[in-house]
Amino acid sequence: MSKKTGRILVIDDEEVIRSGCRQILEMYDYHVDEAANGREGLQKLMQNEYDVVLTDMLMPEMDGMQLLEEINQSGKQVIIIVITGYATIENAINAGRKGAFDYLPKPFNSDELLAKVERAIDYRDHLQEIERLREERDRNLLESSNERARTLTIINSMSEGVLATNRQHQIVLMNPMASRMMHISEARAAGRRVEEIIRNPDLQRSIIDSLEQVTSTLSCTHLEFDTVYGRAIQASITPVIDENKACIGTVTVLIDVSEEKKVEKMKSDFVSYVAHELKAPLGAIEGYLNIILDGIIAANPQKEREMIEKSRDRAHGLIALINDLLDLSRIDRKRSLKAMGPINIVELLQETVDFYKNRAESKSLAVNFSTDDDLPFIRGNKEDLSRLFANLVSNAIKYTPENGHVDISVQKSNSHLFVNVADSGIGIPAESLTHIFDEFFRAKNAMDKKITGTGLGLSIARKIAKDHQGDIEVESQENVGSTFRVTLPIIAEN
Amino acid sequence: MVNEMAKRILLVDDDADFLDINNTILTAGGYMVDTACTSAEALEKLRSQTYDLVIIDLIMEELDSGFSIAYAVRDQEQTRNLPILMLTSAQEKTGFNFEFDKDKQWMKVDDFAAKSLSPAELLKRVSLLIGKVK
Repeated sequence: MSKKTGRILVIDDEEVIRSGCRQILEMYDYHVDEAANGREGLQKLMQNEYDVVLTDMLMPEMDGMQLLEEINQSGKQVIIIVITGYATIENAINAGRKGAFDYLPKPFNSDELLAKVERAIDYRDHLQEIERLREERDRNLLESSNERARTLTIINSMSEGVLATNRQHQIVLMNPMASRMMHISEARAAGRRVEEIIRNPDLQRSIIDSLEQVTSTLSCTHLEFDTVYGRAIQASITPVIDENKACIGTVTVLIDVSEEKKVEKMKSDFVSYVAHELKAPLGAIEGYLNIILDGIIAANPQKEREMIEKSRDRAHGLIALINDLLDLSRIDRKRSLKAMGPINIVELLQETVDFYKNRAESKSLAVNFSTDDDLPFIRGNKEDLSRLFANLVSNAIKYTPENGHVDISVQKSNSHLFVNVADSGIGIPAESLTHIFDEFFRAKNAMDKKITGTGLGLSIARKIAKDHQGDIEVESQENVGSTFRVTLPIIAEN
Repeated sequence: MVNEMAKRILLVDDDADFLDINNTILTAGGYMVDTACTSAEALEKLRSQTYDLVIIDLIMEELDSGFSIAYAVRDQEQTRNLPILMLTSAQEKTGFNFEFDKDKQWMKVDDFAAKSLSPAELLKRVSLLIGKVK
């Protein structure tokens, strides 16, 4: 006999049967408890765990049928074998209905008892195995549904569009970003063929090509396309390969690169603009040199000298432009790379005013400089701020006709310093005011009056002000004058 | 140098130096030269005077202002057959092959030339264009 163990409760009012059962079962290493009637048996059942209950049917206090009912009601899981002297079909059926597993007719021998008990224990093992499998299945189901939900949440939250197809060219997954990028509703896309859904012919072609490629390599296809709404999309298509190296679908990742494209275009526009601005003065210099070298005006030395002077002026303007461009790129460098320190604004402005003194005097301009008392230091880059004020003061002098005036003042509030540079110059036409800080923009009246300039000075000034967490504003009236106001935050020095 | 029979040329450019350069070259070449530095000035002069050739800088304040003048010239009865030489420094920008592309009839100009033409080359182009006029 195989070695089974288990805890057995024997309930019978006949002591002989109880001890007989105990002797036999204990020989086979079963643990055996006894009870003399149904009530006592039920108590033991509630207090201990048993695998099998052997119970007589006819007992005082509580009989077998009643016991079965009580066990059923308690919900206690136990295998019950009924011992009965009235081994009739009716009894067996009744007991079976009440949840008994088997019955053992009296009288019985040890083999019959052991066989029944062993069968019950097998059944117990069987039940335990089923329970274990069910728990395992439930756990797996929970895990896999959690895993699926988690993966879906991740895919649906991605800022990239994700689009998956199966081998039959059908869309099996489209996340919200992909649906937004391609203007296709997710619901409409599911199960539909790539040929029906993907409007962009390049993307459609590339997905189909990836599906039909026979190579086993994970070769990713990249392409860029514009949507009908003008967004630039970068797509990467990867075939999904199974263990037999067959392509079973594709995954396409879509990235909106419109902003990058915009920056790229701005850069290339800037480069071509700069190239044009550099070419014009060089072309003029070349033209003058051609005339002089070809001897076209050899008979007129005065005109010749005039042309050489004009060439020099254009070369001078070219150098100013290149200096501005170098400044622009220097200012664009990371702020963290720049030396920042305490700056005495009044000192810095006084230096600027002194530097341009001669130029102002040559035009008989009155330059006035006034400041509030006890101005705090501010934190900044000296070279940059000096450039900012130089641009404003030199502009004021340049655009103010003779006998005019330039007024520079510094005021303070609790949190900011205000530097005002006001002039009685030609002013800026209203339609030019909004563009006056744009790179290469020049006001029409300045151009008409042939006042030279690179169109970069004010854009540099604004960059510097912004770099110092400040700002610059302008008020102007044509033929009356302009006032530029720079706001700089006061930062407490430790 | 300038005589009664001298051919008259209008130069249009917003860059004063280029006006000066081409004016000097063409005057030395025996032409009577008039200049205009804005579209408005050019159109005004074209209305009030007769010229044998107009030389226009393609890119002035506005990207298409050179073309606007060319269209205006072709639109007016009295200037319909006036030869136009378009100067440009912007070949790479527009992608046209101005030198040889004769298919660009829609541009209504008779010739294109780079702004950096040598004096001899400019005079050669001009004499070819003016020779066309009967």
